[in-house]
Amino acid sequence: MTMAPQTLAKAGEAAIPRRERRAALTLALPALIVLVFLYALPLARLLSLSFLGDAGFSLEAYGRILGDAYGRSLVWNSLRLGLITTAITLVVGYPAAFGLAMSKGALRSLFLASLFLPLAASVIAKAFAWTILLRSHGAVNDALLLLHITDKPIRMIFTQTSLIVGAANIFLPFMVLPIYAVVAQIDPRLTEAAATLGAPPLSAFLRVVVPLSLPGVVAGVALVFSLSVSAYVVPTLLMGENYQTLASAIAKAFLLVRDPALGSAAGAILMAIGLVVVVASNRLGRASGGR
Amino acid sequence: MGRSLEQDLTKVEIAPAHVAVTGLSKRFGASTVLDSIDLAVAPGALVTLLGPSGCGKTTLLRLIAGLATPDRGKVSIAGVDVTRTPPHKRNVGVVFQNYALFPHLSVAGNVGFGLKGRGLAKDVIAAKVARALDLVQMGLFRDRPVTALSGGQQQRVALARALAVEPNVLLFDEALSALDRNLRETMQVELRRLLKNLGVTALFVTHDQDEALTMSDRIAVMNAGRIEQYADPQFVYARPVTLFTMRFVGICSELRGEVDDRSEGRVRVDTAIGPIVAVGEHQIGAKVVVATRPEHVAIGPAGSAPSVGEVNAVEGRIRQIIFHGSRARIAVDLGDEADFRVEVGGASRIPAVGEAVRLTWPAARSFAYPDPGPLP
Amino acid sequence: MTGAAFRVFAMGAMLGAAVFLLAPLAIIAAASFSPTPVFDLPVGGASLRWYAAVGSLDGFWPALTLSLEIALLSTAVSLVLGTLAGIAIARGAMPGAQSFAAALTSPLMMPGLVLGIALLQFFRSVGLTQAWPSLALAHVVVTLPFVARTMIAALSRFDFTLLDAARTLGSSFPAALVRVMAPALAPAYLTAGLFAFLASMDNYPVSIFLTDARTKTLPIKMLQYIEESPDPSIAALSTLILLATLALLLVADRAVGLHRLAGLAE
Repeated sequence: MTMAPQTLAKAGEAAIPRRERRAALTLALPALIVLVFLYALPLARLLSLSFLGDAGFSLEAYGRILGDAYGRSLVWNSLRLGLITTAITLVVGYPAAFGLAMSKGALRSLFLASLFLPLAASVIAKAFAWTILLRSHGAVNDALLLLHITDKPIRMIFTQTSLIVGAANIFLPFMVLPIYAVVAQIDPRLTEAAATLGAPPLSAFLRVVVPLSLPGVVAGVALVFSLSVSAYVVPTLLMGENYQTLASAIAKAFLLVRDPALGSAAGAILMAIGLVVVVASNRLGRASGGR
Repeated sequence: MGRSLEQDLTKVEIAPAHVAVTGLSKRFGASTVLDSIDLAVAPGALVTLLGPSGCGKTTLLRLIAGLATPDRGKVSIAGVDVTRTPPHKRNVGVVFQNYALFPHLSVAGNVGFGLKGRGLAKDVIAAKVARALDLVQMGLFRDRPVTALSGGQQQRVALARALAVEPNVLLFDEALSALDRNLRETMQVELRRLLKNLGVTALFVTHDQDEALTMSDRIAVMNAGRIEQYADPQFVYARPVTLFTMRFVGICSELRGEVDDRSEGRVRVDTAIGPIVAVGEHQIGAKVVVATRPEHVAIGPAGSAPSVGEVNAVEGRIRQIIFHGSRARIAVDLGDEADFRVEVGGASRIPAVGEAVRLTWPAARSFAYPDPGPLP
Repeated sequence: MTGAAFRVFAMGAMLGAAVFLLAPLAIIAAASFSPTPVFDLPVGGASLRWYAAVGSLDGFWPALTLSLEIALLSTAVSLVLGTLAGIAIARGAMPGAQSFAAALTSPLMMPGLVLGIALLQFFRSVGLTQAWPSLALAHVVVTLPFVARTMIAALSRFDFTLLDAARTLGSSFPAALVRVMAPALAPAYLTAGLFAFLASMDNYPVSIFLTDARTKTLPIKMLQYIEESPDPSIAALSTLILLATLALLLVADRAVGLHRLAGLAE
């Protein structure tokens, strides 16, 4: 009958002439140079510096962070912030992405505007706005009192609650948009096919739509996690000194105290987290069917 | 032939229908897409819904599948009223135009999809999947990802997937239109053979009249939300009930005129090129279009005798000849902007362009239809 | 859960998310009209004084100008680099195209803070100490992944045989790029440019390490305002930025459609 698919693919690959390959590399060269010299190289250098002590190779800086209870709490706080923010934005953002995909016309434009506009508002202004919303006589407490959920105002400012709410608020668009981009492209005929094959709506959703939405979920989770694990402005403004993260340690080390080795070590740990996210999201993204 | 028009316009089958649609109507906004459709499909029959885009054939198919709900009317499958039943309970198999294969599942995963969740044992499912794949000769591709398959292969998998659940009826929504021509023709024959062997009832939607003629036991010709004719392919071709059907299935030559005489089952029509006798039941003075299929027209040297009784004769000049190998299509200019198309065997003597010729054909091969007015 | 119930649930979730996301923006806008020098809701009357005060904020205009310059320059550079790289990847002729594409978009997931200190130390080590060029180079790295992501997606949908057709009709290859590809990619440019521009204008973590006492970008300046004298002029400034972005989004919606923007932002 016809050629097996693998044979066809191999034939295609070998057929790319060298001239075209060289042309492609030339086009990619400027971006490649930027990647190497302004990204990979500085990061590698940072990594190597973190291993630099007074007498050459040393794990001293890492020791100061990881060997110390305070240092470990920095790492743990960063990870905690990342994990909780990611979890909340996923739980809210996953159905919201579907809601967005199902909407049309003016409502859809409104929803999209609500996702895009906050990206333009400064993190700083938004964090400040949350301090207004969450204080004892602020809108949230007023609403809770009105609905009789509480009978006196809850103190939310400078608590971890406010931090989580603020972080979730700021990073939510970064979860919804990637999931939406994938979900919006799922062929509606696929759910119809599932129905004609006997799958009731819930089953069709779980067996067809959810698996196909996974590349978007991977992208969203990766993005929100790496943004929230390294967030500086949000914890600083909403909790001040009460929540120390790797990010605040880095900022202090370079801007205040001038301790480059410590800052580099903290940075290297964050970078390691970032690399894990990049690699994992790549693998998971590819495995779940994304490009 | 011997069948009367009435027998074909009555949609009631003698045997109990496997799929039956009565009084089905559907509107989208202000436009009526289906206008009180009645259709009955016998068990094991292969029926094609044939028509141009916008005639409602896909909507009708989707209503039968349960992917849309009608405004009025009833759908029943295997004797059960399924009008209000959701698609996942109707046990219809659908093969979509773009196949709608699940990209995240392998071939086996796709084919077995409808079998999971029915409480069947894993090996039973595997056996059914294997059988379905063998039916379409895709057994070797069991574990392949569907995204690596060619169009024809994907189509087979889509078919196997629909067959695996042993549906009451199979619905094909322009399922062959995405294939290239040679593959499409091969698939048409193979599909018919397979479905007949399995005894499956199937409905096809297509705009391709060749496909309809090849594959169907019966064709429902649709136009603007109505079924114009529902009969077997030979009958639809040879005895089209409406001008639309005559034009849509096969080609024809047309002459406009007014009826000036009539007799038993025949009318004489006064056209721009002279009187033509055709099959029809029109009143005198009625404006009609006389349509004739090209393969019934004989071509000979120019003479002078007018049409006599049951044989129509006209004179003209050859305008164009298109050679198709096994046959040749000849366009003859009859004067007064009347054009006639003739089809002859490729091996017969073909006259030259510009030659004066005389065309003759039996009146029984011309049909008079009410004139629908000038073409838009 | 039936299809209809899920629909209600999902759209409710989106509606809730929309309210949640817009709430702080509404607060900021309201606070910008505060009659008192406290960043707070306007209880007692509204005032426009903070809008007037924005212009005279210490160091505001230089900061705004700097941010705009850096954003426009880095966006422009990234658009060019990202398009060229995108062509190389989408054409399929490049070895390791998949890895290259992944590498190009990976800075999005790298904490900006890390990139900031890495660049700070790297620039110092090669003797680059001036703020302006440092910021410009750093922002190319900040904007490039946004552009690359959008352009790769758009270019993989582009029909390259259109370029062949143009060349057989007499255009040279560069002319074909301009006359055929650029118009087809206009929506992608708009999306990529918008995201890149916003990312640069709002960038904090990379910029904070590369600015100096005299050269500050707008976000850095805003943090300074908040820390020194948190009055409603920041709210006024933020509201102005929001309005400008709203205008940009309206233009983008007319030109391309907001949903296309979101769909391309994969």
